Amino acid sequence: MAIDKVTLQILANHCRAAAENMAYTLYRTAHSTFVKETEDFTIQVLDAAGHTVGVPMDLGATWYPGLNYGKAIAMLEDYRPGDIAFTNDPYSGFLSTHVPDLHMWKPIFHDGKLVCFVSGHIHNTDMGGAVPASLSRALTEVHQEGIRFRPSFLYREGVLNQQLLDVMLLNVRKPEQNLGDLKAFVGALNTGERKLREMIARFGTETLVQGLSDLQDYAEHQAREILRSIPDGDYFFSDFADEDGPDGHPARLAVTLRIRGDAAELDFTGSDPQLTSSLNVPTGGNPRHTLMLVGVYYVLFSLNPNLMLNYGLTRPFTCILPEGTVVNPSFPAAVGMRSLTCARLRSLMFGVFGLAMPERMPAAPAGSSSIVNVMTHDDRTGEAMIAAINPVVGGGGGMPHGDGTDGSGADAAYLKNTPIEITEAEVPIRFRHYGLASGTGGAGRWRGGLATKMEFEAFTPNTRITARNRDRCRFRAWGILGGGPGAPSRMLLNPGQPHERVLNNVDTFNANPGDIVSITSPGGGGRGDPLEREPARVLRDVVCGYVTQDAAEADYGVVIRGEALDEVATEVLRAKRRSNAPLPHFGFGPEREAFERIWDKDAYGALTEILADLPVHWRHFVKRRLMETVTVERGGAAAVRAAWDQLFASLPQLRALAARRMAAE
Amino acid sequence: MRYGMSFRVGVDIGGTFIDFCLWNEDTAELHSLKVLTTPATPGAELLRGLEILRERHGAEPEQITSFVHGTTVGINTVIQRKGARLAMLATAGFEDVVELARLRMPEAYSLFSRRGAPLVSRDCVFGVTGRILADGEEEAPLDEESVVRAVKAAQAKGVDGIIVSLLNAYRNSAHEERATAIAERVAPELFVFRSTEVWPVIREYERTTTALINGYVHPKVRDYLDNLIGGLKARGVPAEPLITKSNGGIMSAALGKRNCVSMVLSGTASGVIGAAFLARQARQDHVITLDIGGTSADVALIVDGQPQYGLGEKIGDLPLYIPTVSVTSIGDGGGSIAWVDDFGVLKVGPESAGSDPGPACYGRGGTRPTITDAFTVCGFLGQHELAYGALRPDPALARAAIETVAKPMGLSAEAAAEAIIRIAISGMFVEVNKLVARSGVDPRDFALLTFGGAGPMLGCFLARELGMRRVMVPARPGVVSALGGLVADIRNDFIRTLFADAEPAEGPRIAREAVSLEALGLTWLREEQRFAGPAQATWFADMRYRGQSFEIEVALPDAAVKAGDTVAIADAFHAAHEAIYDFADREAPAQIVNLRLVMAGSPPRPAMQPPPRGDGDAVPERMLRVFFDAGWHEVPLYRRAALAAGQHFAGPCVVAQDDTTSCIPPGFAAHVDAMGNILLDVAE
Repeated sequence: MAIDKVTLQILANHCRAAAENMAYTLYRTAHSTFVKETEDFTIQVLDAAGHTVGVPMDLGATWYPGLNYGKAIAMLEDYRPGDIAFTNDPYSGFLSTHVPDLHMWKPIFHDGKLVCFVSGHIHNTDMGGAVPASLSRALTEVHQEGIRFRPSFLYREGVLNQQLLDVMLLNVRKPEQNLGDLKAFVGALNTGERKLREMIARFGTETLVQGLSDLQDYAEHQAREILRSIPDGDYFFSDFADEDGPDGHPARLAVTLRIRGDAAELDFTGSDPQLTSSLNVPTGGNPRHTLMLVGVYYVLFSLNPNLMLNYGLTRPFTCILPEGTVVNPSFPAAVGMRSLTCARLRSLMFGVFGLAMPERMPAAPAGSSSIVNVMTHDDRTGEAMIAAINPVVGGGGGMPHGDGTDGSGADAAYLKNTPIEITEAEVPIRFRHYGLASGTGGAGRWRGGLATKMEFEAFTPNTRITARNRDRCRFRAWGILGGGPGAPSRMLLNPGQPHERVLNNVDTFNANPGDIVSITSPGGGGRGDPLEREPARVLRDVVCGYVTQDAAEADYGVVIRGEALDEVATEVLRAKRRSNAPLPHFGFGPEREAFERIWDKDAYGALTEILADLPVHWRHFVKRRLMETVTVERGGAAAVRAAWDQLFASLPQLRALAARRMAAE
Repeated sequence: MRYGMSFRVGVDIGGTFIDFCLWNEDTAELHSLKVLTTPATPGAELLRGLEILRERHGAEPEQITSFVHGTTVGINTVIQRKGARLAMLATAGFEDVVELARLRMPEAYSLFSRRGAPLVSRDCVFGVTGRILADGEEEAPLDEESVVRAVKAAQAKGVDGIIVSLLNAYRNSAHEERATAIAERVAPELFVFRSTEVWPVIREYERTTTALINGYVHPKVRDYLDNLIGGLKARGVPAEPLITKSNGGIMSAALGKRNCVSMVLSGTASGVIGAAFLARQARQDHVITLDIGGTSADVALIVDGQPQYGLGEKIGDLPLYIPTVSVTSIGDGGGSIAWVDDFGVLKVGPESAGSDPGPACYGRGGTRPTITDAFTVCGFLGQHELAYGALRPDPALARAAIETVAKPMGLSAEAAAEAIIRIAISGMFVEVNKLVARSGVDPRDFALLTFGGAGPMLGCFLARELGMRRVMVPARPGVVSALGGLVADIRNDFIRTLFADAEPAEGPRIAREAVSLEALGLTWLREEQRFAGPAQATWFADMRYRGQSFEIEVALPDAAVKAGDTVAIADAFHAAHEAIYDFADREAPAQIVNLRLVMAGSPPRPAMQPPPRGDGDAVPERMLRVFFDAGWHEVPLYRRAALAAGQHFAGPCVVAQDDTTSCIPPGFAAHVDAMGNILLDVAE
């Protein structure tokens, strides 16, 4: 029987207090930049089945309020008081989704009975493997991405498994950092256990266990209420990552959202095949995998700020994740850079829910947050060093009643920068510029948020620079309801100089003394017709340098002379521009429009069918070959089939494969 | 400055009331007074209050030898965004320092989250050319022409003042100083502040924002203090007025006209100073203070009798990066509104009825149920007067408001009211838990010192939720902030960013910087504050292992700092690191990022007169019908004025006094200590 609603709210508060307490303990005692500055960690209170019930709101990343530990928990048996279990293997229970993420959980017993768990994850700076920091999109199998641990007991009845820990520390590049964070993490779990024991004493085991279940029903109810307010229907949307690997072709993510009453199906059929780069998102096909639903959490929370953040939110949703695709890769596909794909999965959700309820959703946020690291030598000490420089983040999308936030926001709102003065004091680089990039927000009744631009100069030879999650250099953050797209991202070496190099999505390169690295994030998309934006607001945008004077005229139809509005000329210009043609729902920008003239929905439909029929290890190869072959506009499905027939004919191996399969059937 | 003789007056302005503390230095008697604020004529209530103090207690203006004042004019200017129009000079290429802030938005999960507008508009930020590096070296000289152009552009924008904040100026302020001098020459009609004069700390966004806040509130604060100084002089008050500071100290009002930022959070800080004084007097070393008013609820830690200090307190979402008494907001006080969501779950806050219209039971137009209404429906309030007779909550109005949430939940009004109290308490529990986790302490080792108009009303319930064993209600909970001003030190902070390794080679530099900081501190204390008593210098350093990305605060012995004894300094760091992280790497090089000095002087404090002694059980005035634990109970009502030191009583009961009502649930045993504090202990 459900507990009363007053006790439920009190229990919710205590549950959150326990989670906040653990998060602050971890934050206070951890060492690495990842925990301290980037806050790439999460904390959960779980029910006995491993479903998340409580998360902190103040600290940490936003991805795991709907996380289900169940499968990973079940890979171990015979839990006892004092145990702490852990895993970082993306293919063991699909809990950790890339190797640097170490998840841990601790069972809590009362009177010999398992009551619940406390848990969390930290992103380790390095877990060994082929490259420093363990992450590169160029890696092709998970074995290259660092040392992996199946679910194992790190502590058994309070006793540390030192041998296991030693294996980990032997295999990583910065063992003291891993160890420092691990200790802080264990401290946080022990704090969590103490807090949960206090809750058991206060509420009683029965009420607590029932309450943990009721809180999920509560969140489920809230999610269903929101779904009920959205019109039933099938909504299709796709978004693209610029490249499916180094020098690659676009990677497509597609979803059909089927809303039926208070439930929703998210069918990802049509998404790219499993890739040979590390952009795959390991889900194991779990229909409620948290990584597939991060965008959904944002949508729900934005519509109801009193939303309970727990596993119950995921229950009205069912994801269809075809095996052997980028959203359900088969072992041993590399997965390290799944965060790049996850950014596209979030914009995919914002787009498809925007189709279902345009009046309530914003345009696309910038959608690519470059995490920049510098590996260099400090000439003062001669020591090698790795330092995290600012994340380069872009603005939010135009909102239903306001401009997108400039320079950060929306689904990148949790990231923090590091002060320039701190970085310059510690790392031998000098900043030349750090600010908003004028004119980069998508035009609209409500403008998209501006991009940020960061430039710095390297000072030592062979300074190795990594910029992870680079995307949106080609396909822009889209506008909606007549709003324009944001400006694309750019990364250059020595901009404006004779030896300028366009790096864009390249994620690792070297710089030498005097080289200037320039990174501009994407800008956010605009919302609504720019001709409807009040001229006074456009004037202010120009005076403050958010919008250029030329763009004011070209995009907004607003004529400005000096710092004054020419009202008459503006009215004339706007009248001339207005037409009765309906506004397109999405403003994708010329790059995506050009690409989709070749690869339209039909062409992709044919491609998806062809690939689905092939063994997994053939799929990415065939996709690339077809992308290279099909180049004419408006060829549709027929052009793809023709190219496939040609490819099939030219490859005896494929023919043999087909023959074997026919015989088997 | 003269101390001793006659009267001292402490004054604190809150949202609804202005509080007075009057200390008769001859008799050691302490009097208190609350007067309703008159927003239309700020300052008038202050003079009215002084008049009442004269009538009631014979405090003639010419007998007021000390006048300490805390004002909210600064913080209100920021919150209401009604400050000066500012321009800013920034290093070219880095003009967007306040637009970008630290990127993170207040609500991580919402697509619609945004920060408040910066205090300077982007079109009023002007780049100037010239570059200082992180080690203080000049890479490119200041282009003075670019400064002149920027200042003229600022003039053309019609601003009131200019803030100069340049990159790496914390290390070398030469460019800032030169640019400031040029600005003052080119635009003598504008006020000019530079970031390194306000607080020269590393971290450009925080330092710049702090300087902007200083400039933003400057005209309003200056005018207010001029009026105050003039008004007191005209009345014949001989004391030069002092104002309370965010760091818990006091300084002369004349200095506050330029050093505005240091008084912005003075109200909450002086509350903690007053509470710490009362806690020490009652021999309570480890205390969590709980200050709840009609519109705010704040907690602070007192460890070993000392308030805690930190950087980065927030005003809205703007960081105030100066040393400040650490105070954490845990809610919006008695005015928080209760409501029911569509799942039938009762919520309290974040909406608040504020001071206008306030709780429904105040009869000033509020209709939505608040925490104060819940206490009224339960009978804790409304059966006696509040706030010097100025208010008497109306139970009928409270009940009507509570019914609006009781009905949809299918509860009686009093059951709903009790539920509101329990949920409000559990919300505060979340916030206090974050504070104790951040600080790494256990609340069960602390006593809860409650004050403010509603602190003693909620204190016992919160203590119970937190597992705390003792609650303390001081004699005059309503005027603790005003008292804080009377007992505060004259105090200022000084900082030097060093980036020095704690190794013998750096010893002489550390010693040199320390001597120069101390000279600065003494000049401030002796010449600017004209304080003749003993000076107390306390040293801190922000230290870390070289290469670590964050610092910890380390208290340093005076002798070690002044001798540049790097072995002792490193030892202090390793010990502090071990205390927080359970380990210290004594081989690894330690680094001093900042050296900080707190210079303080304590004015002599007369003893407070203890209340009359009594013994045995306190005698209730009468019995009240009060609702708790799901039922109506007859409980004693005690008059605070009738309680004598040494007397005992027990919960459940209600203690009424002019400035607050203490609600004491069952399970608490009470006794009145020698200084008149009520100490409530959880019965074993």
